[in-house]
This record gives sequence, C-alpha cells and structure tokens, in this order.
Amino acid sequence: MDDLTLAGRVAVVTGGSRGIGRAIAVALAERGASVAICYREREAAAEETAGLVRAHNVGVLVAQCDVADEASVGRFFARVRTELGPADILVNNAGIVRDGLFVYMKRERWDEVLATNLSGAFLCTRAAARDMLLRRWGRIINIASASAEAGQIGQASYSASKAGLLGLTRTLAREFGRQGVLVNAVAPGLIETEMLAGLSADQRKDVLRAVALGRVGAPEDVARVVVFLASPAAAYITGQVIAVDGGLF
Amino acid sequence: MDGQDSLAWQVKVAIVRCLRMPIKPEEIQDDLPLFGEGLGLDSIDVLEIVLEMQRTFGVEITDEHVGKRVLRSVNTIVEFIDESRRAAG
Repeated sequence: MDDLTLAGRVAVVTGGSRGIGRAIAVALAERGASVAICYREREAAAEETAGLVRAHNVGVLVAQCDVADEASVGRFFARVRTELGPADILVNNAGIVRDGLFVYMKRERWDEVLATNLSGAFLCTRAAARDMLLRRWGRIINIASASAEAGQIGQASYSASKAGLLGLTRTLAREFGRQGVLVNAVAPGLIETEMLAGLSADQRKDVLRAVALGRVGAPEDVARVVVFLASPAAAYITGQVIAVDGGLF
Repeated sequence: MDGQDSLAWQVKVAIVRCLRMPIKPEEIQDDLPLFGEGLGLDSIDVLEIVLEMQRTFGVEITDEHVGKRVLRSVNTIVEFIDESRRAAG
C-alpha cells in the first residue's frame, strides 16, 4: 500500500480559498482524500479551489465560515459531517495579518488576529476532535509560521498567534496521543503568497539574505509536508513543528 | 456480586478495557472512588473514560462539572447512563 495514500479520508482545510490553503486542499485530494474547504470572504477563489479538488474525483465541500465565530464553525462542521462524513484530518490554516509597529498597535487589530489565527484553531479543533478521538484516528495539522519562534518586526500579533499554535500543538499531542490522534505544526518561512506580495523589492532582497536556499518557497512545498503528516507514513510523529523555510535560521 | 448482564458490570468491563488495567472487572466495587485514593486514576484517564462511555453506551459528557459529578464511581456512572437513556426516551 502507498504510504502516502489518503483514500477514504475526509479532510478539512480552513482558509482554503488561496495560497497555502489552496495548495494543501489540492494536494490532499491528489492523495485521495475528500476535502472540505471554508472561506471567509473570497467565494469565487474558494470555488476555484473546489474545482481543482474535484478534478481528482473526490468529494468536495466549499462553505463560508468565519473561524473566529463559534456558531459559524458549528454550522460548517455540521455540514462537513452530513455531506462528507466526520473529519479525519483537520488543517488549521486560516490566518490573517494586521501588521504594524507595536507602538501603534490598536487593541482591536490585535484581537482580530488572535481571534482568527489562534481562537479559530481552537474552535475548529474542538468541533472536529471528538469524532477523531471516538474513532481513535485523527490528524490535526496547524499551520504556524517561522515568525512564531523568531519574531518579526511589525508582526507582534501574528507572531504571538502563531506561537500560540505551537503551544496548542504540543499540548493536544499529549492529551490526544493515546487515542491515536496526532497533532503537529508546519512552520512555513517565506512562501510565494499574497501575504508576501506586500513586500517591496528591497524588503524582499533583505529577507532572502537569511534564507539558506536563497529563494522563496512555493505553497506546494508546504502542502507536501502536510500530506506527509496526514499520511500513514507519519504514524509515529506527534507534537512536532516542521519548518518549511528553505533554511531560515 | 453483579450479574454479568447488569449495567454496572458493563461499565466495569468498559473501564478495565479502555484503561488496559491489570485488574478484573469484579475487583471494582460499585462505590469505589475512581480517582485519587480508590482506583487511583488521573486526569488523562478522564478522557479515556469519557470517550469510552460515549463509544459503548452512547452517552456524551461535554461539561467539566457534569464530568466531575458522573465520574466518581461506577454507581454514579450507571445513574448517569440511566438518566440519559430516560431523557432520550
């Protein structure tokens, strides 16, 4: 049997409309998983992702959901369960940035980032975990960031939210381990997405100096690691943070 | 001594099974405290029992206060299962 097969599994990818989330949704489908993706605002982009998933002849569900809103998360996971079945794999990918120097950082902006990036992962995990625990099989993969450990100027809220995900990852790995539910994090570095498009050419050159491979990564580089962690090949890995950053240290 | 078809007996079997305990179900008295002194279970065992109760008896414990009240002894678990089944009609 293929060690990376996900045939028959149901995966949920939050924030699956574009960038890393889209690449993850498509990569999971490529390995045979049915995929539910949710988006907050970009319906057209999410439908495009759904089309790419459907091309692999797997089940697909695309729905609007604000992961920071408990009721919205509840409705989304209820639909996943009815239309695809209980989730086997959860990828907490939905994230936002509201960068700015700390001295100018407004409470509302801080709260917004923490609510989506960290509380969103909490709410989605709570909505999905019990089914996984009852069936003694599950994979939870949190998409963190290189800035969680290193910090990044202007990213206090983002870095803090992503570092929070690492604590969540390690704690849940301990709480769920004996039930066969594995919890890991992937920490992308500089990946070619809209989040990175905001950098000027100079800033880009500057940040790339720190990357051993001297180039930015692709969303697919992250997706491959998520597939691996979701697959039977990663059966003895939990509580880990896998950096996908081209050597950013 | 319980009949082997009683609910209390089934609960004891479920506890021993899910915690892989080196004791026999009949060694657990109905009113033996499960946590602390008594059977000596700890906090990670709570999750095991909560899940096993749902798998085996279809009863869901989602609240910490309810959990504390229910997971005291085999007796309290049996009462909770009875209650839940009556409520479900």
